[in-house]
Amino acid sequence: MADTMGHSATATRNTSVALGFCLLALAPQIFELIWSIGTIPGWGAGRGPVTVLVSHATALLAGAPGALLGSLGGETKKTSSDVLLALIYSYPLFVVAIVTLFMTIRSAQDYVGGVILMALALFALWASSDLQGMRGFSFGAGTAPRMFGGLLVALSAGIALTGLLSDGPAMAHYSWRGPLFVMASILFFALAIRPLGLVVSAFASFMIAAFGSHETRWMEAAIVGACLTLGCAILFPYVLGLPMPMFPRFLAQ
Amino acid sequence: MELFANLAHGFVVAFSPVNLLMCLIGALVGTLVGVLPGIGTIATVAMLLPITFGLPPVGALIMLAGIYYGAQYGGSTTSILVNIPGEATSVVTAIDGHQMAKQGRAGPALAIAAIGSFFAGCVATVLIAVLGAPLTKLALAFGPAEYFSLMVLGLIFAVVLAKGSVLKAIAMIVFGLLLSMVGSDIETGASRMAFNIPELADGLGFATVAMGVFGFAEIIRNLDAGAEMNRDLVQQKITGLMPTRKDLKDSTPAILRGTVLGSILGILPGGGAVIASFAAYTLEKKIAKDPKRFGRGAIEGVAAPESANNAAAQTSFIPLLTLGIPPNAVMALMVGAMTIHGIVPGPQVMQKQPDLVWGMIASMWIGNLMLIIINLPLVGIWVRLLRVPYRLMFPSIVIFCAIGIYSVNNAPVDVILAGVFGLVGYWLIKHDFEPAPLLLGMVLGPLMEENLRRALLISRGDWSVFLTRPLSAVLLAIAAGLLILTVLPVLRAKRDEVFTESEN
Repeated sequence: MADTMGHSATATRNTSVALGFCLLALAPQIFELIWSIGTIPGWGAGRGPVTVLVSHATALLAGAPGALLGSLGGETKKTSSDVLLALIYSYPLFVVAIVTLFMTIRSAQDYVGGVILMALALFALWASSDLQGMRGFSFGAGTAPRMFGGLLVALSAGIALTGLLSDGPAMAHYSWRGPLFVMASILFFALAIRPLGLVVSAFASFMIAAFGSHETRWMEAAIVGACLTLGCAILFPYVLGLPMPMFPRFLAQ
Repeated sequence: MELFANLAHGFVVAFSPVNLLMCLIGALVGTLVGVLPGIGTIATVAMLLPITFGLPPVGALIMLAGIYYGAQYGGSTTSILVNIPGEATSVVTAIDGHQMAKQGRAGPALAIAAIGSFFAGCVATVLIAVLGAPLTKLALAFGPAEYFSLMVLGLIFAVVLAKGSVLKAIAMIVFGLLLSMVGSDIETGASRMAFNIPELADGLGFATVAMGVFGFAEIIRNLDAGAEMNRDLVQQKITGLMPTRKDLKDSTPAILRGTVLGSILGILPGGGAVIASFAAYTLEKKIAKDPKRFGRGAIEGVAAPESANNAAAQTSFIPLLTLGIPPNAVMALMVGAMTIHGIVPGPQVMQKQPDLVWGMIASMWIGNLMLIIINLPLVGIWVRLLRVPYRLMFPSIVIFCAIGIYSVNNAPVDVILAGVFGLVGYWLIKHDFEPAPLLLGMVLGPLMEENLRRALLISRGDWSVFLTRPLSAVLLAIAAGLLILTVLPVLRAKRDEVFTESEN
C-alpha cells in the first residue's frame, strides 16, 4: 500500500504524524493553560494563565535540560513538578516525534496507537512521581503505579515497533459528527441535571444526541424523546427510588 | 448429601415471588438486548447496574445473571431469522441458522437452539453446584502469593483466548491495572494520580468506565457505520416448531459436545461465551463426515454453538463465586454489582452468603426454563422489535446511560468521566485494541496489588516467594507456558482460525 502511494506522499504523512506527536507531547501543558483562563473571572482555583505559561516555558526550555545535566553531574536537587513533566512526559515524546520523521511506518494503526498509549503511560509515571517509593521491603504508595507504568511504556513501545516492522492496516477513519454530538449531549446532561432537573435535561440531551445522525427525523425524535423522558421520570425517582431533581430549581421553589 | 441440601435451599430462595419476578425481568430484558443489535451484553449489564441498587442483593444478582444468559438466548433468535447476530456469541449461529430459515426450517432451528441452550444450562447449573464447594475449599488454602499468581494466570488466559494481538491485549490489561490505581492507596491512604480532583479521590468508578468504554464508545462506533443497518427480515410465517426425528438424531451429539466444550471454556478465565461458540462450531465442522453441509443449513451448526455459549455463560460464574476472580468482562461487572451491595467476592461468599450463591445458581435453571417457555411463542414480537430504527435507539441509550451513571453517586462529574471514557473507547476500537481485557485489569487491579504487597511483606521483600511456594510456582509456570505457546506461529494460526470462521 505504502509503495503505491509514492515516496513523497509517505514523507508528508510522516511529517504530519510527527507534528501530531509534538502536540501530544505538549498536551498537558496546553490543557493547563486553557484551564487556567478560567481563573481570570475567578471560576476555579489554581495558577493564573501567565504563571502557567511562564513556568512551563522555563521548565521546557531551561529547567529540564538543567536538571538533566545536573543529574549527570551527580547533583541531587528537588525538581519542580513542571520540570518533571517536561522530563518524564514531553521529552521522550519529542524524541519519538523526531524518530518518526526518519521511519517508514508500515502500519499506522499500530504505530500511532502504540505511541499514544505510551504517552498515557508516561503521563501516569509523571502523575505518580510525587508518591513515596519502596520503604525497605514494603511497597510505598507509588511503587505499584510506577511498576505498571513502566511495564506499559515497554509494552506500548513494542506495539509501536510492530507498526514499524510488520505490515498492517493504516489509520482507521475517524468521523466527527457522531462523537461530537454524543459528547455534547453527555456534557450538557452533566451540567444541566443539577440546576435544570431531570425532565428538561433528559429531553434536551436527547435532541442534542439525535443531531449525531444525519438520518434523524425531527418530529419523530421529539415524540420519542418526550416519551423516553416521561418513562425515565417515572422509572428512576419513583419505581427505583433514586432521588434526583425533577424540575428546574427556579420553578420548584 | 450436602449438595442436594444446598440446591434445595437455593430453590427455596429462588422460588420466592420477588426473586422469580427478578429472574423473569432479567431474562426478558436480556432477550430484548440480545435481539437488538448495537447494544452488547456488557453495555447492558453496565447500563442496568444502577437500576439494581435499590433491590436486595440476591434479587439484584439474579436479575443481572438473567440478563446475561437471556442475551445469549436472544442473540440466536435474530441470527436465525434475520441473519443479524444480536450478540457476538451468536455470530456463528447465523451461518447455518439463517440458511435453515431460508429453506423454510426456521422453526426447527429455533427449537433446536432453545433445546440445546436449555440442556446446556441444566448441565452447567449442576456443574456449578458440584464444583462450587471443593473449589472454595481449595481457595481458602491460598495465601497472597498464590492469589497473585492465580490472577496472573487468569489474565494470561484472558489474553490467550481473546481475539487479536497478544501484545495489545497485555497492554490493555496493564492499562486497566493503572486505571485501577487512581484514587486513594489502600494501605497508606495517599492520593494517587487524582490531581486534587475530589471526585477522583475514591478512584474511577467501575460502572463509569464500563459504561463509557462499552456503552458510549459502541454507540459512537455504530454511528460511524451509518445509523441504518441492512435488515432483511424473513417475512414468511414460522410454521412447525417441532424438529423432525432426524434433526433430533443429528443434533443430540452436537449438543452434548457443545455443552462439554462450552462448560470447560466458560470456567477458563478470559474466554467465556464468545470463544465457546466459535470453538464449538469449528469442532463440529472438523469432525463432521461431510463438512460441506456446513454453511448450507446443517442443524449441528446451530445446535453446537448455541449449547456451547449458554454453557459457557453459566460456568463462567464458577471462578467468580468460588475464587472471587471474574473470568470475563461481564463477570467483572458482577463483581462491581456485588461490591456495591457490600459483598466482597471470594471464597468466603459461599459460606457467609449461602442464600445469594445457591439462590443465584437455582435461579439460572429457572431462568432457562422461563426462556424456553416464553421465547418460542414470543418470537414474532422479538422480530418486530428489530424494526425499531437505530436513529431513535441511540439517543435513547445515551440518555438512559447518562441518567444511570448520574444516579450511582448523584455526581455530574461521573457522567463527564464516562463521556471521556467513551472517547477513549472509540479510540481503542479505531486502533484495534480490545476493551474487555482493560475492564478485567481494572477489576483485578486492587486485588492484585494488595496480594502482591502482602506476599512481599510476608516474605520480607523476597521476590522468589512466587516461585518457591509450589502452588504459586505451578500457576505461574502454566501462565508462562501458555504465553509461549500463543506466540508460537503454529498455534497462533490455529487461534486465528477459530475466530475467522464467521468470515468465510
